[in-house]
Amino acid sequence: MASLNSSLAIATQSLQAQELEIQTTNNNIANANTAGYTRETVTLSEATPSQDGSVTIGNGVSIDGVSSVRDQLLTLQIQQQTSEQSSAEAQVNALSQIQTLFPSSGASLSSSLSTFFTSLSALSDNASSTADRETVIQSAQALVSQFNTISAGLTGPASGLNSTVSSDVSQINQLTAQAASLNHELGQQGSGGQNSGPIGDQLSQVETQLAALTNITVTHSSQGDSITTGSGTPLVLGNQSYALSTTTNSSGNVQVLDQSGNDITSTISSGDLGGTIKVRDTQIPSLLNSLDTLANQFATAFNAAQASGYDQNGNAGAALFTIPTTVAGSAAAISLATTDPTAIAASSDGSSGGNGNVAKLTALQTSPLASGQSATAQSANLVYQIGSLTQTATTNSTSIQQSLTALNNQQGSISGVSTDEESADLIQYQQAYEAAAKVINTIQSLFETTIDMVVQN
Amino acid sequence: MRFNPSINAAVTSDIQQSEQALQAAYQQVSTGLRVNQPSDDPSASAAYSQLQAQVANVDQYTSNAGSALSQAQLSDSVLTSVVSLLNQAVTLGTEGANGTSSASDRQSIATKIQGILTSVVGLANTTFQGISLFGGTVSGTQAFTADATSPTGYTYNGNDSVNQISVGDSLSVQANIPGSTLFTNANASVLGALSGLATALQSGTSAQIGTATSAITTALNYVTSQHAVYGNTINQLNSQETYLSQEKVTLSSQESSLVGIDAATAAEDLSQAEESNSSVLAAAAKVIQNSLLTYLQ
Repeated sequence: MASLNSSLAIATQSLQAQELEIQTTNNNIANANTAGYTRETVTLSEATPSQDGSVTIGNGVSIDGVSSVRDQLLTLQIQQQTSEQSSAEAQVNALSQIQTLFPSSGASLSSSLSTFFTSLSALSDNASSTADRETVIQSAQALVSQFNTISAGLTGPASGLNSTVSSDVSQINQLTAQAASLNHELGQQGSGGQNSGPIGDQLSQVETQLAALTNITVTHSSQGDSITTGSGTPLVLGNQSYALSTTTNSSGNVQVLDQSGNDITSTISSGDLGGTIKVRDTQIPSLLNSLDTLANQFATAFNAAQASGYDQNGNAGAALFTIPTTVAGSAAAISLATTDPTAIAASSDGSSGGNGNVAKLTALQTSPLASGQSATAQSANLVYQIGSLTQTATTNSTSIQQSLTALNNQQGSISGVSTDEESADLIQYQQAYEAAAKVINTIQSLFETTIDMVVQN
Repeated sequence: MRFNPSINAAVTSDIQQSEQALQAAYQQVSTGLRVNQPSDDPSASAAYSQLQAQVANVDQYTSNAGSALSQAQLSDSVLTSVVSLLNQAVTLGTEGANGTSSASDRQSIATKIQGILTSVVGLANTTFQGISLFGGTVSGTQAFTADATSPTGYTYNGNDSVNQISVGDSLSVQANIPGSTLFTNANASVLGALSGLATALQSGTSAQIGTATSAITTALNYVTSQHAVYGNTINQLNSQETYLSQEKVTLSSQESSLVGIDAATAAEDLSQAEESNSSVLAAAAKVIQNSLLTYLQ
């Protein structure tokens, strides 16, 4: 049954609804620039109508709640791409530094190798020239120090990368603890799932930060978000977080352990941690192995060529390079066995001015070593290896960045706060509020009219 | 459809991309190189390092060839002098063999022949940058030294070996003829013939002097024939030098096509990058100013 009182009740509800709208709009505007904020909307619905005989009468507005506008799938995609992006970024940073060891111009391994061989070729012209022999020794020294320098340059970054691994792991532990406590708050709030408001925003922020560090899998449930590593080891389950730890292995590299002490280093494939581990455990060792192989095979072959000739004093050619028998560590350990210019075995017959063995020595530049490739080709191959690794990482980083920008844009179009939109909404809510206030004003004057009627009688 | 209200992130990334392109274009123009580090083009960088080694080799071969050429030319001129000295000896020998020449005439001719012998030995001891030209592959000693016990009065200190100078990846030229081949050959010994003639002039008959003179003619013919070896070396070196300078040109054009830039294209790229950068910046400045609030007054 219609009455002034029920109209007043409807108007009051309307005022409350508009107030809530205005407050939510206000909150959206206030957080327009807050990182990770998801815009909120008020869901209103018609109140259950009342029945008066055959007439159905509307009962005003009812407030269903405030919800965040977010696309969960998009968030997951963004987290995944963030992981890939940080991994590529970490590789680019490490590899760009290593790449400077192989410059296109100036002194490089290739140029030192080439200089060494041209200095030997000069001996073909005048095998007895002390100056020319001295030049060979000097260029051999330069070549040896190139090998040493590049080897040090390749092993040097490992300590930096190891401390990155340690600091990444401690950040992961902080973030997982944070996620667990957010899950706890969500549980208390009892509003798990999609529209979890500010806590949901924070949780999603924490997850994105985690994704930037390592590859994670996020599962939404009523207990909040469960987070596991790439290998399935739990990081966060409900309000419980599981810390990762680190240990240093026999080769001095920091390894990552899960909460039960299993080594999960090799399963970490992306994020800053994944990229760092990839550079440290795969890319640098492969470059170092190529360098060691070149140093070892070249020095061995050169020493053998020396042995087939005679030095300037007529003695059988002795080894020019000292090299370990094992390939690993050859580039770091290679050194000159002698700095005596007469030791170069230029002669093939023991005569002091003979150059018959020079051709054998210089042939090593182009003839295949034990690996099947010549020294020059192997050193060119190293340049290709590092160039290609750096290029791939850079290209990946650029293309993932683009897709990440597109995804973020899409997320912004769904969840971002538009001050224009909120301003327009504000006008709308202001007018609705004014109208509801006007209704109350009207009802008040109707009450007065009724009371006046009674007083006059 | 709702649009992303926060355009700043997109604007920033656009500006960054455009500035990166500008920087790359600028680096290419300023260095003249398309490849400035291995990651710019890994395979070109690898090929470039091998090309550089080839260029260094060509430079070294050129230097070897230049030096070998000087050595061969010096040896050639030494042999020319030896040939002319031997011709003089033949003339003197023929004069001495003449029945009309007196014993004192023969004595003075013998002295002249001795002088020629000394000159020839001096020439045979010629060195080039410390290398004895006719000492085989032995260095550090004179090719011939005086030795009273030897029938010719001189001993050969060198060996019979020959050095090959490499002047190309698969080309080497003979650098020397050992003195034992040129001057003390068993069949046509220059030094032997000269000392034989001197002895014959001092104490021999006309017939003996004649025989000794014809031995000099034999030696002369032999030296002349060996002379051709150096001529051949010089010809080879000249044509190799031409080849190497062409090779150098080919390699440097390969180098520039591998890692160099086309100046016109690079300049165009740079101005394009500049233009796109300034339009990105101008667009960003305009788009950020707009807001509904500007009009809601």
